[in-house]
Amino acid sequence: MKDNSNISQELLEIIESYINGTMNTRELNDFNQLLDLDEDFKTKVEDIKIMLLGIENQSLKTQLDELHKDIPKTKVKESQDKKVRYLYYSKFAAAAAIIIAIGSIWFFSTPKNEKLYAKYFKLDPGLPTTMSTTNNFDFYDGMVKYKHGDYKIAIEKWKVISEKQPENDTLNYFLGVALMVDKNTSDAIPFLERSVEAEDEFIFLNDAYYYLGLAYLKEGNIDLAKKNLSLSKTKLSKTLLSKLNN
Amino acid sequence: MGKSVQYLNQLELINAIKSNDSYTLERFYNDNYKKIELLVLKNNGSLEHAKDVYQDAFITVWTHIKSNKFTPKNETALEGYIYRIAKNKWIDILRSKSFKNSNTLNYEILEFVGSDDSESNDLKNNKLKLTMLAFKNLGQPCKELLNIFYFEKKSLKDVASKLKIKESTARNKKYRCMEKLRAMVLASK
Repeated sequence: MKDNSNISQELLEIIESYINGTMNTRELNDFNQLLDLDEDFKTKVEDIKIMLLGIENQSLKTQLDELHKDIPKTKVKESQDKKVRYLYYSKFAAAAAIIIAIGSIWFFSTPKNEKLYAKYFKLDPGLPTTMSTTNNFDFYDGMVKYKHGDYKIAIEKWKVISEKQPENDTLNYFLGVALMVDKNTSDAIPFLERSVEAEDEFIFLNDAYYYLGLAYLKEGNIDLAKKNLSLSKTKLSKTLLSKLNN
Repeated sequence: MGKSVQYLNQLELINAIKSNDSYTLERFYNDNYKKIELLVLKNNGSLEHAKDVYQDAFITVWTHIKSNKFTPKNETALEGYIYRIAKNKWIDILRSKSFKNSNTLNYEILEFVGSDDSESNDLKNNKLKLTMLAFKNLGQPCKELLNIFYFEKKSLKDVASKLKIKESTARNKKYRCMEKLRAMVLASK
C-alpha cells in the first residue's frame, strides 16, 4: 500500500460497491475502464479488497473459539480404543502368524546387511499434494504417483525435471528414495549424494543422509554407510549406526 | 452429522458462507469438526492439535471461497475439501522437524504451516496478514463498527441503530475507522 494514496470517503464507498457487486451496468463499465487505464487506481482497489478480506478474516478468527464451545467435548478414552483395536487385530492374527513364519525363514537366510537394510528402510511418506501448487505441477504430479506406489512412473516424471534442474534438492531427494523403493539402489546413490550437498537448512537433509547411508549399506559399502549415517541427526540412523558398530 | 447443512445445496452453502451467515458458519463448523478430530487423535495428535488444525483449515477454506478459488464438483465437495486441507496441514505438522523433536503443542509450527499455503502471491498474503494484525489491534469501538458492517454485512442503518448513533455519524465513523486501519497497516510495514 502506498503512503501517499489518499482515498476519500466517496471513493471508498464506490470501491466497496464494486467489490460487493452492487454497481449498475453503467457504473460497472466506467469502473472497469478506469481499472484498465489507471494502474494506481487498480492498486487502490486491490488494497481495499485485501483490507476488507482481512477485516472479515480476523472477525471470523475471533469467532471460531466461540463456535468451538458448542462442540461436545471428546474424552480421549484409551481403554475403549484398545478394545476395538484388539478385536480388529484378532481377525488378522492367524494371517499375521503365517506371514511372520515365512518372513523369519527369509530373514534368517539373508546376510546381515540386507537384514538391517530391510528392517531400517522405511518409505518417506512424500509431500502433501495441495491443490494450489500451480508452479510446480510436474513435480507434484510425480508426487501423486509416488504416493500411489507407482514409483516407476514417478521416477520417469521426475527424471525429466531433473535434467532441467539438476540442483533441485527436494527433487533429488525424492528421486533417490523412489529409486531405492524400486530396488535400484545404485542409481539412487548419485541423486542422494547430490541432495546432501544442499544447504544446511534443507528440510530433508537428515533424512537424505539417512537414506544415503542405507543405500551404501545395501551396496555393501559399510564405511560410507557409517559415515553418512553419522551425519544424519535422526533417531533411526543413530540406532542403525550403533547396530553397525556392534 | 452433516445433515443439517445438507438441505442447502453446495452453491447455496457457498453463498451463505460468502455472506458470513452466522447460522451456516456455525453448522458448517460443527458438522465437519469431528472427522478431523478423529483423524488427528488417531495420528499422534491431541484435542488441542485437532482444534488448531481445524480452525486453520476452516479459515483457509473460507478464504478460498471468498476469493472464488473453490468450485464445487459434487454435493459434498466442500466437506471433502475442508477435510483434505486439514489433513494436509496435519501431515505437514507431523513431518516438521520441530514436531518430531517435541511432542508438546508448538504454536510456531502451526503458525509456520498455516502461513505456508504454497500460494504464489506472497505479497498479497503478507498484506492480508498485516491487515488482520492491525484489525486485531484496532480500538474496540472501531473494531465493533467495522465488524458489524463488513463481517455481519449489516446496512449503515442497522449499524447506526445497533450502536445507538445517527446514520450519518455511522458513515463518517466507518470511514475514519478504515483510515485508521489503513494507517496502521502502512505503519507496520
